[in-house]
Amino acid sequence: MSFWFWHGLRRGIQSTVYPGRAEIAPGISPGRPVDTEFGSVDHAQHAAAICPADAIHASGSTAFVDQGKCIQCQRCRLGISPPMTWDTGFEWARLSGQQLESRVLPSAFAKSMHIMVVDTGDCGACLHEVKQLNNPFYNMHRLGFFFTATPRTADLLLIVGPGTENMRGPLLKAWEAMPGTRRVLAVGTCAISGGVFGRSFICAGGAATVLPVDFEVPGNPPPPLAILHGLLAVSSRRSVASNVPAHGKAVISQ
Amino acid sequence: MAPSSVQTNMNRSALTNALTNCFGSGISTVPAGYGYELAISVANAEVLPPLCRFLFRDCSCSFAGIVAEELPGKWQLHYAFLALGVGWVDVILALPDGASIAPSIVTEIHAADWHEREIEDMFGICFENHPRLGDFILHDQIWREGIAPMRKRFDANQPPLERKVDLEWEPLLVVGDPGSFAMPVGPVYDGGLGEPLHFLLETVGEDVIRAVPRLFYKYRAIEKIAEGRRVEDVLLLAERFAATSAFAHSLAFCQAIERSSEVEVPERAMRLRVLIAEIERLRHHAGAIGDICASTALSVSAAHASIIEEELLRASCVFAGHRYLFGLNVPGGLSRDFEEEQCRNLLSAIDKAAKDLRVLENRLRYSSSFLDRLEDVGVVTEESARDLNLVGPIGRASAQTFDLRKACPYAGYQNYHFEIPCETEGDGYARLRVLFAEAVQSARLIHQAVDGLVPGAVHVPCDKIRSGVALGWAEAPRGAALHWVNVNDGGLVERYHAITPSFTNWLGFHVAAENFAFQDFPIILATFGLSATECDR
Amino acid sequence: MTFALGISIVVVLLTCAAGMLLSVVVGKKYVPLVIAVLGVVSSVALVFASATALIAGKSYAATLWTIDGFGQLSLRVDALSAVFLLAAGIVYFPASLFVRDFIARRLAADYPAHRFGVLYFALMASVVLILAAGDALLFLLSWECMSILCYLLINFEQKPQSDKRAGYIMLAMSEAGFLAVVVAFLLLGRTAPDLSFPSLSVAGAMLSTAGLWCVFLLGFFGFGVKAGLVPVNLWLPRSYTAAPNVFIPVFAGVTLNLGFYGIARLCADLIHAGIGTGVLALIVGSITALVGILYATTENDMKTMLGHSSIENAGIVVAGMGAFLIYRASGHPVAAAIALSASLYHMLNHSVYKTLLFQSAAYIEAETGTREMDQLGGLSRLLPGLSIVTLVGCLAISAVPPFNGFVSEWLTLQALLRSAIITSTSIRIVIALCGAILALTAALAVTCFVKAYAMNFLGRRRGAWEQRQYEHKSTGFAPVLLAIVCLLFGILPTYVLPLLNPAVEPLAGASVTKTLVPPFFTATAQNGQLPVAFLHDFHNLGAQSGKGLLPGQGLVVLLRGQDQNPVVFAMSPSYSLIALAILVLLAWFFVTRLTRKRSVARRALWAGGIPRLLPQMTYTATGFSNPVRVVFQAIFQPNIVEDTRSSVGSHFRTAILRQREETHVVDRVFLRPVRMASRWIADSLARMHHGRLNAYVAYVLAFLLLILFLSRVA
Repeated sequence: MSFWFWHGLRRGIQSTVYPGRAEIAPGISPGRPVDTEFGSVDHAQHAAAICPADAIHASGSTAFVDQGKCIQCQRCRLGISPPMTWDTGFEWARLSGQQLESRVLPSAFAKSMHIMVVDTGDCGACLHEVKQLNNPFYNMHRLGFFFTATPRTADLLLIVGPGTENMRGPLLKAWEAMPGTRRVLAVGTCAISGGVFGRSFICAGGAATVLPVDFEVPGNPPPPLAILHGLLAVSSRRSVASNVPAHGKAVISQ
Repeated sequence: MAPSSVQTNMNRSALTNALTNCFGSGISTVPAGYGYELAISVANAEVLPPLCRFLFRDCSCSFAGIVAEELPGKWQLHYAFLALGVGWVDVILALPDGASIAPSIVTEIHAADWHEREIEDMFGICFENHPRLGDFILHDQIWREGIAPMRKRFDANQPPLERKVDLEWEPLLVVGDPGSFAMPVGPVYDGGLGEPLHFLLETVGEDVIRAVPRLFYKYRAIEKIAEGRRVEDVLLLAERFAATSAFAHSLAFCQAIERSSEVEVPERAMRLRVLIAEIERLRHHAGAIGDICASTALSVSAAHASIIEEELLRASCVFAGHRYLFGLNVPGGLSRDFEEEQCRNLLSAIDKAAKDLRVLENRLRYSSSFLDRLEDVGVVTEESARDLNLVGPIGRASAQTFDLRKACPYAGYQNYHFEIPCETEGDGYARLRVLFAEAVQSARLIHQAVDGLVPGAVHVPCDKIRSGVALGWAEAPRGAALHWVNVNDGGLVERYHAITPSFTNWLGFHVAAENFAFQDFPIILATFGLSATECDR
Repeated sequence: MTFALGISIVVVLLTCAAGMLLSVVVGKKYVPLVIAVLGVVSSVALVFASATALIAGKSYAATLWTIDGFGQLSLRVDALSAVFLLAAGIVYFPASLFVRDFIARRLAADYPAHRFGVLYFALMASVVLILAAGDALLFLLSWECMSILCYLLINFEQKPQSDKRAGYIMLAMSEAGFLAVVVAFLLLGRTAPDLSFPSLSVAGAMLSTAGLWCVFLLGFFGFGVKAGLVPVNLWLPRSYTAAPNVFIPVFAGVTLNLGFYGIARLCADLIHAGIGTGVLALIVGSITALVGILYATTENDMKTMLGHSSIENAGIVVAGMGAFLIYRASGHPVAAAIALSASLYHMLNHSVYKTLLFQSAAYIEAETGTREMDQLGGLSRLLPGLSIVTLVGCLAISAVPPFNGFVSEWLTLQALLRSAIITSTSIRIVIALCGAILALTAALAVTCFVKAYAMNFLGRRRGAWEQRQYEHKSTGFAPVLLAIVCLLFGILPTYVLPLLNPAVEPLAGASVTKTLVPPFFTATAQNGQLPVAFLHDFHNLGAQSGKGLLPGQGLVVLLRGQDQNPVVFAMSPSYSLIALAILVLLAWFFVTRLTRKRSVARRALWAGGIPRLLPQMTYTATGFSNPVRVVFQAIFQPNIVEDTRSSVGSHFRTAILRQREETHVVDRVFLRPVRMASRWIADSLARMHHGRLNAYVAYVLAFLLLILFLSRVA
C-alpha cells in the first residue's frame, strides 16, 4: 500500500515565489514580441508583412504589435532578419479595450475569489494553462482563488476560446446565472480577437462580441503566470495598465 | 514518406488483381493522389458497399474515414483505407451534382457512422439506410435544417445566422422503462474545466444504460475557413485546432504538402521531428495520467503527475521557444535549428521525467483503492475495438496493435527500435498501463533521436506545390491522425479535411461507459482522455 | 356514566341502522349527505363512548339474546375496547366527510351511492360490534360479517381494469384466518362453562403450555391475516390497490386495527402468554416491518406503496406487543406497560396518518387520473392545500417531530432498549436485533416518504396526464382535520398516555402514567410526588412552564433508567414545538432585518448550459429508490429482462425495453415451499390411486387391523 501522505511530504514545496518575489525559472513563459524600433522602414514593413495574424503594424521605422491579435507563431522572430524584439516576462494582463476605467472587484474579494471557467471553442492550450494553475508550481489556492462548479457562486467568469455559435447559448446562460458582483476575464488571443479562427459564421471572434469583457490576458496561450497576473489584477492585488491600446488600433506607447 | 518495402509492388498488384476479379467493370484504377498507393474509382453507387466490405473484411484493411468534395458539376466521396503491406487506398465515388443521396456503408463498416453523419450535416448528402442522420454538428435544437455550410455557395465570412431554440424539440431517448430518465451532463460541467460535451445519460437510477455523447460545441469550421487560403495560413489552422497534439497535426499536414511537392526532407530535420513528436507524446501522456489520478481523487499522485507535466512544458519552452511546441513545423522541414547544448539539457529533463513516471507507476500499482476504481471499469472488448476501429492508446489497451509509426512509417520511424505496448483487458487499468509503457518508449525514442543527430540543414524550400490531392499522416498522442489536402493550380487550398483520433475514438466511448454506475462515469471519461476540440475541429 | 356509555353505544348502532335504511330510501343525490351526517353523529358518539370509558374509567356490559346450543350474546366495553373504539371514531369522522365530498363532487353521477351507503353503515356496525363484543360468539359472528362486507366493498367498483382476484384472495385468506381463530376460541373454551370473555379468561389461566402455544399460534396467525403479518399478508397490497378510493381510507384506518384488537384480546388478555410466544411475536413483527418498508420504498403506485407501508406499521405495533408479552412474562410490569402503551399509541397514530395519506392519494388520482409516481410531479403548484396536508402526513409517518409518529416510534424503541433488565442473554440478543431491524425500518420509512412526497408534489410535471374534464376543485376539509389530529397527538403525548392507561394497567400490571408522565405541574418540593433534586433539575430546564394554564400532569415524557444505570430519557414535543416556532420566528426576523436593503434577483435554473431543462431530465421515483433496490438485492431478487431492438447489427440501439419481474420474498420463502411440499404430498398420495382393486382391498384390510389394534391398546 503506497503511503501517499509521506510521498507528498517528501516531494517538498514546489510553489513559485510569485507574486511575492520575481519568478525567474526557465521555461515559465515563451515571451512575446514587443514594439521594435528597426531603424529602417523596409525592415519594419517586412515585419508587418510576415505576420499572418495582422498583429504588426509598421509606422515609419517602428513596428508596433497589437498584443490582442498576436498568436505567437514566432515567424517574426525566426522568419525575418533582423527579428522583432521579444520580451521574456509574463505580466501581460490589461484592461479590456472596452473599458475606460478600472473594473477591479471590491476589496472583499481580494483574497477570496471564485472563478467559473467557460470554454467557448478553445484549442486546448489556454484551457490547459488554466488547469495548470492548480498544480503544485502555481497553486492558486494559496492566493485565495478557487474554481467553482456553478456560476451561482462565481465572482469571475473566465472565458477561453473564440466564441463558437454552439457555445454562445451556454456562455450567456452562465453569465446570466452569476450574481450581481461579477467580472469577465478573457484569456488568450482567441478570446480577445478570435485568434487564427477570426470571425466567421460560426465564430464570434472574441468574447467581447457576446458579453462585456472587463480584463484580458493576451497570449497564445498565455502561460499560467500570466493568467495568475490577470487574476491578481481582477482582484485588485496588482494594478494593470489603464492606458491600453483599444483592440484593433495601435497607440504609440509612452 | 511512402512506405518502402520490396514486396510493395507485388502486394499492390495482388490487391489490384483481387479487386478486378471480384468487381470487374464496376471499378477502375485511376491515378492516385500524393501519399496514396492505389486509387479506385467506383462506377456506380451500388458497387460501393460490397467493395468496402471486401476491403474491410476480406483484405483486412483498416478504414480511416470519408472525405467529401464538391467539384464543379459533381460530388466526390473519397473513402480512405489502409492496406497493410500496400499503403493507403483511395476509393472514389463520384455523384452527379443533382444527386444528393449516396449509399451508406455503415452496415459493413460501423466506424463509418460519424463520417457519414458529418457529411450529411455539412454538405447535405443523404446516406441511404443510415439509421440516424441529423443532429450531429449543427444541433437540431438550435439550427434549422438545410444549412450545409461546407457547400461552396455558403460564404464563411457571413455573420452568424439567426437561430432560435426549438421549443418542440425532444431528445431521442432509447430506454423504454417507465421509470427511466435522462440525466443531463454539460455542456459546461466540472467547473468549466471539462471541455464542452453534452451527455444525456439514460438510466433507471444506478447504472448508466445509454451514454451517447453530443459533441461539436467547439466546432470552428476550420475546414471551411481553410478554403481559398495559402498553405502557410492553413498550416496555422492545422497546428492550432488541437493544441495538445499541435506538433503531430502540423507534422501530418506538412508531410502532405511535402509529398505533393516531392521534396526530400533532410535527415537532420527528420530526426528532430521525431524528437519533438516524442516530447509531445511524453508530455501528453503525463497529463493524461494526471487526469486519471485526479478523476479518482487520489490527489497526491495527480499532483505528482502534474509536476512532471509542468516540468516537460517548461523544458519544451526552453528548447523550442513555446510550451506547446507551436510554430516549429513548416513544409520542407523545421523553422529553426537546435544546438548540441540544448539537446543535452533536454535529455536530462526527459530522463528526469521518465524516472519520475516510473516511480509514480510503481506507487500506483500498489494503491488498491485506486486500482479498484479502474479495474474492470469501462471495459471495451476486443471485438468492439476492432469493429469500431479504435486507434491510439485506447485501441492498444483492447488488443488493437495498430500504430502508424510501424504500420506506415513516416519521418524515418522505420530506423528506430521501439515497441508498441499492448494490453488485452480493455479496462481503465489497461489504458493506464499502456500510457505508462508508451511514455517509456517515447523516452527511448528521444534518446535514439538525439544520439543519431547528423549535422546538416533543417529545411528545404517547398515552393513548387503541385495541384492535386495529398495525404499526410502521423501518430498523434491520442492515435492516428490523417490530413487530406487538395491544392489547386494557384497554390491555394481548395479542400482540407482532418481525420483526428478523437473523432474516431469518441464513437467507441459509449461502449465503455454503458452499464457502469454513475460514479464510474467521470473515471471512464478520464481514462479515455479524449479531446473534444480535436474531434470538433 | 355507565348509562351514558351504554346509551352512546346504542346510539351508534341505531345510527348505523338508520343509515342503512336511509341510504336505500332517500334519493341518490342525498345519499352522500346522509352518509356524512349520520357518519359524523355516530363517530362523535363513538368518541364520547370511548372517552367515557377511558377518562371516567367506566365499563359497560349488556346481554343481548341467547342462541340455543351456543350461549348468550353479550356486549362488553372495557378499556381495551375503548381504545380501539376511539381509533375507529377518530377515523370515521373525517372519513364520512371525505366520502361525501368524494362521491358528490368527484365521482360520476351514476355512482351506486345507495349500495355504498348500505355497505358503509353495515361495516361500521359490524366493526363496533366486534370491538364491543363481550363473548366469543358475537365476536366471531360480527367478524365474519365484517369479512364479507369488506369483500363486497373491495369489489364494489367493477371497472374493466380492476383486479378482480384481489378481493377473492382477501376473502379466502380471511376465511382461513377466521377458521384458525374459531379453533383457537374453541380450544380455549373447552373447559369453560360458556363463551363469554370473562369465562374464557378464567379458562385461559388454566391452560397447559402446549395448549397455550396452540391457542397462541392459531390466534396470532389467524388474526395476523387481518393485521397484515408475514407470512399471511400477501392479500393486503393487492386489496389496497384494488379497493375503490372512496372506501380505502376506512379500510386502511379501521379494519387493520381489528387484527391488532384480536391479537391483544386473545393473546394478551384472555391467555397469559409466556416468554416464547412474546419472542415469536417480536420477531414476526420486526420482519414484517422490514419487508413492508422495503417493498414500500421500491413501489411506484401510490396505493400499493401505502399498503406496504401499512404492513410496516403493523409490524411495529405487533413488535411492541411482543415486547410487552416478554416483559410481562419475565415479571417486569413497568417495562411491559411502556411497551404496550407504545404499541397502542402507534396503532392510534397509524390510523390517523394512514387515513390522511390514502385520502390524499384519492384526491391526487381524482385530479390527475394516475397513481404512478413516475408520471406525477409538480403537484404543489396545482394543489397547494393538499400538498401541505400531505407533507404533514409524510412527516408524521416518517416519525419526524413534532408529529405523532415520532412519539410512538420513540416509545417503541425505548421499550426495546429496556431489554437490559431481562436476565436471559439469548432473549436480550433477540430483542437487540429486533431493535436494530426496527431502526432500519424507520430510516427506510423516511426514504420512502421523502420519495412519495417529493416525486408527487415537487419538481416538474413528468408525465403527460391531463386534468380531468371538469374544472379543478379544492379538496375537502377532511384531510385538514386529520392533519390537525396528527399534530395534536404529536404535541400532547402527556394527555394521550393517561388516556391509554386504563387499557394498559390491567394487562401489564403497572400504570403507564406513573412511569412516563412525571407530574411536573402538580409536584412541589413539599408534596413529595417527585424527588427534590430531580424536581430542581427539571425546573431549571423549564419543565414547569405552563403550570397554571394547562391541565394535566406535565408536558414532558420521561423514562428513568434502572438503579445501576441512572440515565434519564426525556422528550417533550410540546416544548419542542414552541422552541421550534420561536427559532423560526427569530430566524425569519433576523433574515428580514439583515437583508432588508438587498434585492433578490430570480434567474433561471442553471442546468449546465442546456437550452431547456425538460421533464425527462429530472429524477423519477424509480431512480430515487433504485439504490435501495440494489442494496437489498438479495431480498428482492429481481429478474430483469432486457429487450433491445437494434439495427445495423448491434451498433445502433433503437429501443431498449426493460422489464423487471419479481416475486415477493414472502411468496418465495414461505409460500412456494409450502406449495411445493403440498404438491409433493399430493403426488405421493396420488400414487395410491392407481386403480388396482387388490390393492384397495388390502388398504381396507390394513386399516381395519389398525383400528382393531388401536382399540385394543386404548
